[in-house]
Amino acid sequence: MPPMPPMGPNRGRGPAGPHSARINAEKPKNAKQTLSKLLKYIGRSKYLFFMLLAVMLTITLMNLLAPKIQQIAIDTITPNEERSGVDIAKLKETLIWLAVVYAVMAVMTYLQGRFSAKLSQVTVRMMRKDLFASLVHLPIKYIDNHRHGDLMSRMTNDVENISTTVSQSIGSLISGVLTVLGTFVIMLTYSPLLTLISISTIFLTIFVSAKMTKYMKKFFVEQQIILGKINGHVEETVTGYKTVVAYSKEQDSIDEFRVMSNELRKTGIKAQICGGMMGPLMNCISNFGFVLIAAFGGLFSIKGMISVGTIQAFILYSKQFSRPINEIANQYANIQTAIAGAERIFEVMEAEPEPRGGLLPFDHNDVKGNIDFKDIIFGYDGSKPVLDGLDLRVKQGQKIAIVGATGSGKTTVVNLLTRFYDADAGEITIDGKNICDIPIDELRRAIAIVLQDTVLFSGTIGENIRYGRADATDEEVRAAADKAYADEFISRLPDRYDTVLSEGGSNLSQGQRQLLSIARAVLADPKILILDEATSSVDTRTEMHIQSAMVALMKDRTSLIIAHRLSTIRDADKIVVIDKGVVAESGSHEELISRKGRYFELYQTQFAGNKT
Amino acid sequence: MKLAKYLKPYILFALLAPVAMIGEVFVDLLQPKLLSQIVDDGVLPQNMEVILSTGLIMMLTIVAGGCCGVGSSAFSGMASQGFARDLRNDVFKRVMRLSFQQTDKFTTGSLVTRLTTDITAIQQLVDFALRMFVRNIMFLIGGMFMMMQLNVRFGIVVAVSLPLEVLIVVLIMKFANPLYAIVARRLDGVNTVMQENISGARVVKAYVREDSETARFDGANTALMDSNLKVMRLMALLSPLLMIIMNAAVLAVIYIGGLQVEAQALKVGEVMAAVTYVTQILHGIMMLSMMSQSIARASASAKRLNEVLDTDPVISDGEGALCTETGTVEFRNVSFSYPASSGRPVLEGINLSIAKGENVAILGATGSGKSSLVNLIPRFYDAVEGSVYVNGADVKTYELDDLRSRIGIVLQKSELFSATAAENIRWGCKDATDEEVKKAAEIAQADEFISKMPDGYDTKIAEKGASLSGGQKQRLSIARAILKKPEILIFDDSTSALDLKTEASLRQKLRESLAGTTVITIAQRIASVKDCDRIAVIDHGRLAAFAPHDELMRTCEVYKDIYRSQAGKEGDE
Repeated sequence: MPPMPPMGPNRGRGPAGPHSARINAEKPKNAKQTLSKLLKYIGRSKYLFFMLLAVMLTITLMNLLAPKIQQIAIDTITPNEERSGVDIAKLKETLIWLAVVYAVMAVMTYLQGRFSAKLSQVTVRMMRKDLFASLVHLPIKYIDNHRHGDLMSRMTNDVENISTTVSQSIGSLISGVLTVLGTFVIMLTYSPLLTLISISTIFLTIFVSAKMTKYMKKFFVEQQIILGKINGHVEETVTGYKTVVAYSKEQDSIDEFRVMSNELRKTGIKAQICGGMMGPLMNCISNFGFVLIAAFGGLFSIKGMISVGTIQAFILYSKQFSRPINEIANQYANIQTAIAGAERIFEVMEAEPEPRGGLLPFDHNDVKGNIDFKDIIFGYDGSKPVLDGLDLRVKQGQKIAIVGATGSGKTTVVNLLTRFYDADAGEITIDGKNICDIPIDELRRAIAIVLQDTVLFSGTIGENIRYGRADATDEEVRAAADKAYADEFISRLPDRYDTVLSEGGSNLSQGQRQLLSIARAVLADPKILILDEATSSVDTRTEMHIQSAMVALMKDRTSLIIAHRLSTIRDADKIVVIDKGVVAESGSHEELISRKGRYFELYQTQFAGNKT
Repeated sequence: MKLAKYLKPYILFALLAPVAMIGEVFVDLLQPKLLSQIVDDGVLPQNMEVILSTGLIMMLTIVAGGCCGVGSSAFSGMASQGFARDLRNDVFKRVMRLSFQQTDKFTTGSLVTRLTTDITAIQQLVDFALRMFVRNIMFLIGGMFMMMQLNVRFGIVVAVSLPLEVLIVVLIMKFANPLYAIVARRLDGVNTVMQENISGARVVKAYVREDSETARFDGANTALMDSNLKVMRLMALLSPLLMIIMNAAVLAVIYIGGLQVEAQALKVGEVMAAVTYVTQILHGIMMLSMMSQSIARASASAKRLNEVLDTDPVISDGEGALCTETGTVEFRNVSFSYPASSGRPVLEGINLSIAKGENVAILGATGSGKSSLVNLIPRFYDAVEGSVYVNGADVKTYELDDLRSRIGIVLQKSELFSATAAENIRWGCKDATDEEVKKAAEIAQADEFISKMPDGYDTKIAEKGASLSGGQKQRLSIARAILKKPEILIFDDSTSALDLKTEASLRQKLRESLAGTTVITIAQRIASVKDCDRIAVIDHGRLAAFAPHDELMRTCEVYKDIYRSQAGKEGDE
């Protein structure tokens, strides 16, 4: 009975102890199919699996043998008509046999532990690996449409469940079934009548525990719900703590928390009383069995039908019988939960991966950077199209500023050019080649993007900049940082480029994070550059510096800049105003101003009275 | 254990639970004894009456024992759940009193785990201690007592095997615990890579880093497997070793029993009883040692909770302030640096005086200390040197609620709560009428989009406003602050996501409707603030200038720099 490893969320085993598995069990939708896929994973360690099976078989045999030998030993010391004393020599011999059985059992139990650990870890590692491999190749659409917490829980909870199931449940289940069968046969050979008696109490056990479980489930579901509510309340209050404090709402929040906390106490007590009945009740029933066996055994023994040792053996066997039956019920529930989890994992693995693009030769180093959007129609999830016949031509080395109101489809243009999403109709070409016909990796290598939300990875600052180009030298990294005006603040950090970022880069300011992601793009040195509102949260003075750097960076590159702020894009070669899914107007700043259209309107609101 | 005081109100239940448990154990311990009576006095002398009467006694005691067991778990449930509730309430109350520098230190995720998982762990330990601990201890003591009663020689068996068993468990746990810590760290590693690849999928794809990410994951994954295997291999030793000892003890009992029966000192039934007792004792000690793991876990949880409970809020109520003015803010020689950080202070020697009804803007570079400056007004943080005055009184003299009720602050990151749009706005003032809410929304330019939502003001804002755009979220929080009718209204860079036109209308409306209110705005765009009465330019933590736009254009180089960058005329200088 190795204890559970203490870490990791584990849906299978809640606070209620050994019976909670049955309470929390989920039902898989297509158990058979999933099970066979899961078995395929286990099947990769066939050799190990059969070794495990052999070991378990031996353990079961020894388990059955031990009470039998114990019975002989007790009978040896029981006085009867034939002899009055104790045959010490025979007792010794019997005990040596018993010792051998116990020793074999111990060794085999150790082997079982090792084999099942290995089997579960190897299996789970393979699954994690495959899951991750399919995850990185999932289309952005899939990731956008799924809750991130949900995807994460497949990697954590579901995989963890499978791991414990493989290492514990499968073994317990098999040895449980073997033990029950073996015990049953042996008990029958001793005394069919006594067997009948102990079986009846076992059926009582199963019946009662099934009923209780069903009843308890209600309370535990309730408990989970309230716990979830508390979770939500704490998270909301703490993340919004500044707001709570600014409005002096601490007391309200505490009061609200108290109500939930008390609710949790009430259901907790109910659940616990209910769960607490299970143990004594089972204990009662098994003790009843004990009494019945003792009484009837005594009766039969008086009539000379069985020996005293047999009573002892029967008590042991009937214990051996009821334990695995309970165990089997629990493990069955665990396995069900694991299969339900496996189903979710396979769902991700079997999701259609992102297309790798066509085979048309295309080298990102030789890109000129002529981009052409032809009559693009696109809507997310078949809803109202965001882009509705967009035409946009960008010439090599041109700096294009895309402006428009929120939701006008500016970001969508980026999503389509990088093939994060594919257009519903129309085509996009780079240097005359349809982007769907060229290898997607080459396409993306030709483009560098700086996104609204900066993404930083765990690791050092240097590693994060090097994300732009893995083989860059330290000097190149520093030069890129310098160009993006990031070198200044990095140099002030205690470990400079080796400073380790805390989660998501939270030890850096928003502006600093942005500078890093710009440095990353600088290092990538692509022919096409996309800046998606990247400058909007860097303050104006820093931005002025960045702008100067960008002007240099954008030289000889085709650049698409998306921003709300007209000042940053005023000196673009061409300004494109997107409105209602099409290009409403385009031209230079002066042209558009004199046209007094949509651009003029935007310009007016920002710079009204500012024309010096 | 400092947390023990939380058990005090439930002391009656906490005492009844083990008492009831002792009853259950007593009955359990009686069974082998009764069984041996059946064998020795009933079966061997062929006395049917003894068998039946003893059987009846066994039945009766079992029912009594069962009742004790149920009672025990009920009492323990009441005690441990009550304990958990009080503890939970206190921890949360403490969290709500903490200052920002303290909550920053704890992080949201860790506070959530502390309030849920950690408390559950301790609650389970209390429940465990009241029942299972008592149960196993009683099995140990009772079993030993019964064995000694049967024959003193059996005591030797126990005396040898028991310490051995304890030693093995303690040793294995000692080696296993640090390994578990490694496993936990490696698991974190795997999760981090996964998390980063989900939330950063666009960047991974844009830089075509799928393969290197897969390799990075493989590394973390294999490391996790290795450390898992290490600990599991060690743990695989535990159960067989304990089995060997237990079974050796059984062998010894039968052997010694045999000799004693031969010597007529013992009966066969008693040997059988002794076998059952020795199994029970060793099983009990095994359970106790396993418990040491949950004790270790719970004590880690207790430590984490105590950390929260022992954190005294750095910022607390003052005596009560004597206001001599309304709507004024003054900084006198204020310096500030964040507690955890070292090095250059964020603000240095700031002197700034803002009059009632004045419209003031604060401008400066990233990290120049703009946000820190306004954070000092409602005492989100305290100045390290110098003082901040509101309405002529030092902010430290105010009761916090009084001070904060005078100030409306719209934060950079707008926090919405899972409630309806109206409820979110009404946060600013609980008993505002529907008209007032609508009015505030109109000023904040939020009325239009709220009205367009399916249920208007009664539309539920899901998941902290995930369904809203950044600009919409900001407008909702602005409406909330306006509804509060504060004397001083602060916008901490909270109009950045607004569309240009909307922002202009917002400023217009604000000027019209909130004439007497002092407004302090942190902004990025000069166009947003150039009409303000005065603009404070912060540069590297110092006040560079504080004057109207026209004057700044003449005298302040920093300001002119910013102006030029935004006008875009000399952007590529």
